[in-house]
Formats: sequence, structure tokens, C-alpha cells
Amino acid sequence: MALAKTVYNLLFRRTSTFAVTIMVGAVFFERVFDQGGDAIFEQMNRGKLWKHIKHNYESKEEE
Amino acid sequence: MMSLAARSGAFSPYLQTTAFIVAGPLKPLVPSVVVKSEKFLIDPKKPFLCRETLSSQSPKTGPAVTVSINGRAGVRFAHTDIRVPDFSDYRRPEVLDPHKSSQESSESRRAFSYLVTGVTAVVGVYSAKTVVTQFISSMSASADVLAMSKIEIKLGDIPEGKNMTFKWRGKPLFVRHRTEKEIEAEAAVSLSELRDPQHDKDRVLNPKWVIVLGVCTHLGCVPIANAGEYGGYYCPCHGSHYDASGRIRKGPAPLNLEVPYYEFPDEETVIVG
Repeated sequence: MALAKTVYNLLFRRTSTFAVTIMVGAVFFERVFDQGGDAIFEQMNRGKLWKHIKHNYESKEEE
Repeated sequence: MMSLAARSGAFSPYLQTTAFIVAGPLKPLVPSVVVKSEKFLIDPKKPFLCRETLSSQSPKTGPAVTVSINGRAGVRFAHTDIRVPDFSDYRRPEVLDPHKSSQESSESRRAFSYLVTGVTAVVGVYSAKTVVTQFISSMSASADVLAMSKIEIKLGDIPEGKNMTFKWRGKPLFVRHRTEKEIEAEAAVSLSELRDPQHDKDRVLNPKWVIVLGVCTHLGCVPIANAGEYGGYYCPCHGSHYDASGRIRKGPAPLNLEVPYYEFPDEETVIVG
């Protein structure tokens, strides 16, 4: 309750700060969303991607 | 009773008994009186230009029609059969009780509403940015075109004092390995002698290597390396002389040979483009 009041008065009350909050929030949301999506993709495809099997081939070439 | 009412014809409304006496809207108990007013502030000649002029066309000197003090201004019919709809499903839990003050919970309800709005806007901004980025990046060059636009040259193959020509983006590219003597001579040239004043150190990253496009700035011929009066390049078409830094020194060409963007990833290679 106190937190909601503080957040409302600090960020949501004025249109200007509300807009700035949305913009800054979008930047962080983009980063979290994109990296989270990539992490889920790699988790589901573990062992199939090139960067997971790359070391198998590199060591042979060097020898 | 019903049969009597049915037979009585025109008198049937007066013979029926009713539970409620309702005054109809068209028959007030005391007839309304029309008050004559002397002046109406109407200017019929005034043109209709906006809402303001339109409202000035209506009378505004008090009410033109009035009723007596115990006359009825309006009629309320007793609709006891209509139930007030129940909106509890659509209400927030804090305001379900109509006897409780809603002001106590207004802070949290307002914060929640704005939070939902803000989160929606954040997701909207992200989606819009992604869509716009996709469309714009579809206009940029594809990976195969970008790969064709670069050339990697092994510098160890070019002996000192020699010039080699490569094909880069459909044009000849001169890579010249200068000698110490040439470097000193070009660095010492005064800018006042030059048609297109440019110091040698502004045209090279590493003074040992001069990398220029082999297109004469006059009419686009390909100059001959290690020829001409200044020991650099000589264009056979109309006799333009360039020095060992690719700068125009004599002849009709107006500008120095163009220097493309290049970088040295290590000592032995250069990547142009």
C-alpha cells in the first residue's frame, strides 16, 4: 500500500514522468525479454547448436 | 368487474381501480402559465459562424414557461418491476460493499490501474520498436553482399617499392609498398604546391602502405603505377601525374586519388571495405 502510493506519486502522477517511466521500462523490458527468449531457446536446443558442439571439431583440426 | 369494464366502452379507464395514482406528463394538475417577456436577446441578422453565435439566437431572459408552486415539474412513474442490475462481477473487491467508503482503497486501485496502463504501454513500445527495426533492417545489405564488399590482402606478397592492383567492388585498387625514400619525400611536400592540398599522413594509416582506388579523378581511366614525373602514378589518357601518395601533381585531373576505408587487423594483412 505504501509502496503503491510512493510509486504512484513518484512515477505515475505526472504525464511526463509516466512517459519517461514507460520509455525506460521499455529499454529494460526489451533486454530481459530478448535475452530470456534466447536463453529458453538454447535451453530447449541444448547440444544441437553449433556453439555447443563446436569444440568437438576444433580440437581435431588443431591436431 | 373485468366484464363490466369491458362493456363500459369509453368509460372503462375511469371504472378500473388502480393501486397507484399516476399523474400523466401531459396533464399537470395546475395548467402552466405562459409568462410574456418583453425582450428576447435575439439578433436574427447575426450570421451563424460558430457555436457561440448559434447560442445567441436562443432566448435567454429567464424561463418563458413556468408552473405554479405546487404544480408538478416532472412525473416519476413507479417502476417497481424493474430490478437494479447487479454489477458485482465487474466491481473490484474493494468497492463491492456499497456502505463502505471507497476513498480508503482509492490509492491502491489507482496505482493498479496506472500500473496496468504502464505495462501495456511498455509492451506496446517494445513491439513497435521490434516491427520498425525489422522493416528497416530488411532494407540494409544482406550478408552475402556485405561479404563481397570486403577484400583481404596479404601484405607479405608485395615487395618494397612495388605496386599491386586488386579488384575491389568492380574497381581497381592500388596497394603500394613504399620505400623509406618515398615516405620521406612525400612527407616533405609543402601543401602550397598541391592542387588538392592534403598531407601525406592524412592519406595513410601506416606510411609504408598507400592504398588508393586506381581510378583517375579526371575521366576515370586506370593510371599506370611507378610512372610519371613524380614517381607515383601516371594516367595515360590525358597525362595526369600523381605522386607516390596518390596526390595529383600535374595534368588535368582535379582531385587526389580516392582513399577507401581500410584497417590493419594485424601486421601482415589489410582489409579494405
